[in-house]
Formats: sequence, C-alpha cells, structure tokens
Amino acid sequence: MHFDLIVIGMGLSGLMAAKTASESGSKVLILGKGMGALCLFSNTIDLLETLPKGMKLDEGLSQWIKDHPQHPYSKVGAKIVEEALTSFTSLFPLPYSFVSAGDGNSLLPTGAGTLRPTYLIPTTMVAGASVREQGGLIVGFKGFKDFYPDYAATLLGCRSLTLPPFRTFHEEITAAGLARSMEKESFREEIGREIRREMGNETRVGFPAVLGVRDPWGVKKGLEETIGAEVFEIPILPPSIPGMRIFNRFKEWLVQRGVTVLLGHSVSKAILRGRRCEGIRVSNPPLSSFYSADRYILSTGRFVGGGLVANEEKIYEPIFDLPVSQPRSREEWFRKSFFSNLSHPVHQAGILTDSSLRPVDDKGERVLENVWIAGSILAGHDSTNEKSREGVEIATGYMAAKCAMKK
Amino acid sequence: MDIKTEVLIIGGGATGTGIARDLSLRAIPCVLVEKGDLASGASGRNHGLLHSGARYAVSDPEAARECISENRILRRIAGHCIEETGGLFISLSEDSPQFRERFLMACEEAGIPTALYSRDQALELEPELNPDLLSAVKVPDGAINPFELVRANAKDAERHGAKLLFHTGITSLLIDQNQVRGGLALDLLSGEDYKIEASFVVNATGAWVNQVLKLAGLRIDMALSKGSMLITNQRLNQRVINRCRPASDGDIVVPNETVSILGTTSVRSEEVEDFEVTPPEVSLLLTEASRMIPAIRGARLIRAYAGIRPLFQSGGTGGDRQISRSFALIDHGERDGLKNLMTITGGKLITYRLMAERTSDLICRKMGVDVSCSTHLKPLPVVAESLRPKDRLQKIAPGGEVLCDCELVRREELEEILETMQFRDIRDILHRTRLAKGTCQGGFCVYRLLGLLHESGLVKESPNKVLKAFLEERWKGIRPILWGGALKEEELIESIYKGIFNLKDSVEFGVGSSE
Repeated sequence: MHFDLIVIGMGLSGLMAAKTASESGSKVLILGKGMGALCLFSNTIDLLETLPKGMKLDEGLSQWIKDHPQHPYSKVGAKIVEEALTSFTSLFPLPYSFVSAGDGNSLLPTGAGTLRPTYLIPTTMVAGASVREQGGLIVGFKGFKDFYPDYAATLLGCRSLTLPPFRTFHEEITAAGLARSMEKESFREEIGREIRREMGNETRVGFPAVLGVRDPWGVKKGLEETIGAEVFEIPILPPSIPGMRIFNRFKEWLVQRGVTVLLGHSVSKAILRGRRCEGIRVSNPPLSSFYSADRYILSTGRFVGGGLVANEEKIYEPIFDLPVSQPRSREEWFRKSFFSNLSHPVHQAGILTDSSLRPVDDKGERVLENVWIAGSILAGHDSTNEKSREGVEIATGYMAAKCAMKK
Repeated sequence: MDIKTEVLIIGGGATGTGIARDLSLRAIPCVLVEKGDLASGASGRNHGLLHSGARYAVSDPEAARECISENRILRRIAGHCIEETGGLFISLSEDSPQFRERFLMACEEAGIPTALYSRDQALELEPELNPDLLSAVKVPDGAINPFELVRANAKDAERHGAKLLFHTGITSLLIDQNQVRGGLALDLLSGEDYKIEASFVVNATGAWVNQVLKLAGLRIDMALSKGSMLITNQRLNQRVINRCRPASDGDIVVPNETVSILGTTSVRSEEVEDFEVTPPEVSLLLTEASRMIPAIRGARLIRAYAGIRPLFQSGGTGGDRQISRSFALIDHGERDGLKNLMTITGGKLITYRLMAERTSDLICRKMGVDVSCSTHLKPLPVVAESLRPKDRLQKIAPGGEVLCDCELVRREELEEILETMQFRDIRDILHRTRLAKGTCQGGFCVYRLLGLLHESGLVKESPNKVLKAFLEERWKGIRPILWGGALKEEELIESIYKGIFNLKDSVEFGVGSSE
C-alpha cells in the first residue's frame, strides 16, 4: 500500500506527527511496536525545568534557545513550540484537559514525596499543586506495591491512609487493575465511605494516578461526591495511566480521521535507493508486509523504545543506519556518579538534523531526502534532566510533519 | 556497656565468624566486632567457588592440598550452602598439551581426583562450550553461597555463646606494657563507644589487617590484588568451567543458582576499598570467558563487581598470581614482642575453617587449654531456607505482594526477616534476601522496600536519602556493563528516579537509620 506519509514509531512524537500530517489532508500510516515511553513516563507535559515560575513560556524558552543552538527546541523555534502545544491541547477539551499555571511551571507532588516542576497538567492533578501549603490526606491501597502513602505523605507534610484490601481483588493489584476498578461506581462508593470516616480537617485527598483510563474526570467527581473533599492524582512508578489516556485519545482521533494505525508492528528493513527511502518491510510474524510512501518520519525513541541500540562499541540506529552523534568511546557514555550534577553524555547522543529535521552526517551533509526525524531520538537534549520530554516530542513531531508535508 | 571476654575477634568475614564458631564450640568466650555487615569484605566479594584445589595444583601444591581437604569437609558440614556442580578444565587449541599433562599429574599428587573427557563427551555435558575445545578434565569444583556460609557460622557461634557486634569498629587497642588487653569499640550507627577487655585479640580483617595493626604501631607485608567479576542474567553452564592453562585473567565461569559469574582479573591495588571495575577489565573478562563459552558474548550482563584478595607476602618476587594462596597465622608476640595479638590472613574462602582451626589451636595452647577442634565434624545450621525459583513461585499467594519481581521476593518474606532481626541498615536486608539481586538490580524493588520500611517506622531519616544512596552504590556495579539490554533498562531506571520522582544530588551510602 502506498501513503503520502509513513510515521515509524507510536510514542508521543509519532502520534503528534500523524495528527499534524492528517490535518493537512494527507494519507497517513502510523505504525509502532508498542505504545512508546508515553505509557511509562508521561504523566504531565514537561516543557523545560529551567522555566522559572511565573516567567512567560516564550521568554524562558527564547533564552534557552539562545543558549542551546543544537537543542531540538532551537530547530523548531519558540513560536512553533507554542503552536504545537496548542495543537496538542486541542485534543483534550474540558473537563479532562491540560492546563498551565500562569504560563510557568507548577510543582506537583510525586510518589516519592518530592515536588516536581512541570508545565501542562491534567485537570485531575491541579489540586495537588498546593498540597505542600494546604495539606491533605494521601491515600493508598494495601497490597498495591507501587505507591506508599505514608512515604509520600510524611515528606509532603500530609496525613496518610492505607485502605484495606477489597473483595474486588483476587490477583496482584496493579495500576491498570486499580484504574479499571475506579471506573466502577460501587468500588468508588466503598472506598469513598472508608475515606470519609478517616477524614480529619483536610479539604483535599491525593490518590496515586490511577483514577480510571476512560473517564478520569468522572472518577474524580464521583469520589469527591462520596468523600466530600477535592480529589487529585499523584504520578507514580510506570506504567503511567495518564500516559495511556493520552495514547488512547490520539489513537481514537487518528482512526476517526482515517489514519491507518498499526500497533504491534515493527519495521524490519528500510529499502533505500540513493538518498531516498522507497519503502519499508514490516514484520508481524508470520507475515511480512511492504509499505511505501512519498515521505517518512522516524520517531522510534531512544534505547527504551528501540530507536537507538548500543553494543559494546557504539550506538547505532537500526532501521536506516543513520549516523548517530555520540561520545568517542563507551568509557565516556556515563559519569562516575549516578546523581552527577552534569548529565551523562550518552543522553546527548542521537540523530543530528538540519533545520528542517532531516538527518545529516557529522559534516552537516543531508543523508536522506525524504525522511524526517522527530522525538527523543534527536541528538542534543537530555529529556530526563531538562524535564523536556513531552515538550520536545510534541514540538518536533508537529514540526517534522509540517516540514515533510510542505511542498 | 563495657564488655569482658576471653578473645576479641576483629572482622566478620568467613575467617572471623569461623574463629568465633570454633572457639565457642570449645567453650571459650569470645566477642566478634565487624565494622560493616557480615561478609562485607572479600568473603562476600568473590565468585562463590567451592575450590577443588586443581587451579593451584601445578603452581602451589600446598594450597591445592589444603583446598581439596577443606572441599571434602565443607561438603559434609555445609551441604546446604553448596551446589555440587563439578568442574571442568577445558583445553582449547592454543592451550599447551604439555600443561594439561603436568596438570593431571599435579592433581594426582595433591590428591585431587580427575577424569579426562574427550571433546564430544565434554560438549554433551556442557553444550554451550566452545566446540573447538580439544579435551576437558573433570575435577570436584562446586558452587558455594558465601553469604549463607558466613551466616551459618555466625549463627552457630551465637548459639554457643559468642557475641557478634555489627556496624562496630575498633578505634584503638588496649595495650598494657607488651601485652594487648582488648580494644575500644565504636558503634558506627549510634556513635556509642565502649571498652572490650579481652585476654587475646585476633585480627581477621582480610585486606584491612594493616589498618588494625596500625593501632599497635605494627605492619605486615601484604599485596592487595583486585579481582573483578561479571554476572550474566542467565545460567550458561551447569559445571564450573576453567581454562586448562596457567592461572590467568578470565579463566573461570562459575554457575551460581540462576546466573553465571565470570572471573577474574588480578590488578595490584593500593586501596582496600578499590572496587571499581574498569572498562579494560570488562573487555578482557568478556573476551577470555567467551573463548570458553561463546554464548557469553550475547548474554545480558547484570552487574560487575570486584573484591580485594588479601595476599600475604612472605618474601620473594613475581606477579600476584605467583603469591601463595596459602594462609598465614602471625603471632605478634613472637614477631613483634606484642603478646596475645595475632593476625590471620591470606588464604581462600574455602580454607576459612582450617584458618579458624589453626588460630583457635594457637589460642588454646597459649591459654594452656586442651580442647580439640570439632568444626570439621559438626554440621553448620541452616539459617535461611534457600529456595529455588520454582519454590519461590509456589509460595506466592493470590493477592500477595511480590516486591522484587526479578527474584520473586515477597512482602511476607521481608516482614519475617524484620521480625527476627534488629534492623539497623538497609544493607542488612539486602544481604539476607534475593531482593535487588536480579536483572534490574533493585531499580524497582528498593523503592518498595523503603515504602515497607517507612510504613514500619524503621526509616528514621528521609527515605529518599537512603534511596539515593542505594542508587549511587548500585551504579558502581552497573556502569561498567551499560550497553545492549542493560543500557535500555538503565534509561528506564534513570527516567523514573530523576524524571518522575525528580531526585537529585548524590549522598553517601550507609548512613544509619536508627537513632
């Protein structure tokens, strides 16, 4: 089958690229072997940690761009970053939408009782932003091993409550299982009554971020009615239920728009002729299929996603064998201290591009004419330490599609 | 709380706990102090090999004879710490056939039983061996769990009246004229100090012997040799695989429960706590070990670690590989004129019991007591039931919490341990369970462990401080092997702790958790 555009990789950047291209009326195929880092780490939308509180997005970002000419944000530009974020948030109309606190970062509580700066917050998390000042009750579930209310509450200056095991659970309690239970009214009422009994003078109640996948706002409202206090979600260990919500929303929208979505498919080979990609072979054992398009966007992520692979000697890109910018030897990949103040050099490794996000070699020569690069695979940023993960994904996914579909 | 006893033993490794057991079985009162936890030095930092002695048969016949004799004793008294895997010394095309003949003869002289296998026989037993091998010699090597062994000795010693004090250091020796009379102890977690009066002091601190001797203004000649090892996340061999050539780097792969351990290097070190495994060491171990077992090349490594061999130099020159692996018992009364102080060092994990016997014999002679050793006759107690993965899986009840997914460690298992011990430091738990020993090396489960400890009121400071210290310590073992699957996992772990949890800045490991 032939498409206008094939997007390889179904993380946030790939989904953004597919959305953007589809809006320009193109025939798009997006395929991925999994749901990407989105469902591991993305609870909120990070833009940049150094965005000072209260500073307007464009001011903070413009300064960063000035100081970091090789950063993906510098390729995109502050204006397009803002455009891309608007395009992202348009997918999430109220009541479950993404908001920012006065154009700057908010500090949200985490499962480790720390506060974490982040830019766009789902409405189910907003009330958590003031928990340090206003206090609250942090609730967890006995038998749910990925959240310890007492641990988080002590550090946040809150009170904690561990709910006893409920009849609903026969097997190990997981985030996904809890999220499913939360969508049942009977379960919400059962735990709601229990919490209400234990409430002191708190006016808000924090839960691990498992308030349902399909209708988190409904779950929040339901709980608030029974408990009689405001409810918010706290990001915890992967998997990320809020990340799954983002994924599901994109998928639903893309399918509705007629985009071909192939999940669980990975590219085994790209067929190149000169500096053009002619098609891809996709393996979905026992079948192997061939797809072609005029243009391609590569958004396969880093090591976790499989977009980059490291062997003992070097880091490579397995689909197109693109040049990967990287430290000279493995000895330089990581610093001696895990919590070093400087980021580990391996995180800066990735694909170099020109200003249109097309891949280039170390001399700046364009390597492929009809392939664009988006997302965390891009060289020159460290999404974890800069807290720029979702921002870079959204901005470069949007930008890559805009550039690819230009002519 | 000043203490009076007969013998003060410094060092809680195999030798120290072995001496405590030996003395207490002879009804001689003793107190053992250890600055860390059980087996935190070389006793816990080795490849878990139950030596047959074959490795030393050609170069060091005395050490070889000690090994095979102790090998037989340990099979009798410590069966529950041992897996009787057997071992092979394989010859590849570049290995000299003359060496193999000398090796066979030397084993016979040392009393080590051998059998010669053809290439095909060897491959049938160990299908992952390099098919280019020429032959293999069977020897009675085995795998031993050193933590279990040391804990069993400690438990038996305590059962017979010995007192064991952990996280406790000796800050000075009490010396009266030309005689040692005990030492000043410092509880490193609480800061409390007190006096331990003793008629005899035994220095069983392995690589740290000179730090203790310095307190008496003494010193002995030690060569510190760092040996590095790598762990794979699967077991590639059923038997211990050795290279049939003179002792060299990367000549052994020891199977251990569900993993294989590749050893070792020998690098002269000046530091007793130099545990860094360097990239050249990693490359060398992989290159050499994969000559014996090619599948090692593609295997997922889970950790690198190093131990310091305390080698006693009785003079002579040559490389560290040539220094005898036999042990030395030094009577400082005879050597330096400081009575009732002795140092026991050198040796191997496998000869710990013999070292303890000789030391205890010396003390008995000095005391004028005539009780003989019985440690070679009485079986060691079982401390913790060692469960195979299948048994661990069967123990998981519906709705139960498995805190460590890699090694199937249940919440109940940890709660039971916490009930039976006085919890002082997170490492007390890490040394007593399989938690954090698997593929993710504690990346997920230590957060959960801290959640449990915090709930139980056992973490008095910020749990994040302990968590960060653990991650920093874990990093030392992970950093040398970060490529392939391990790098992928590390990106995930870093994204969790620095990303989702926003943890920053490094802190030092081992900060006390009780008041």
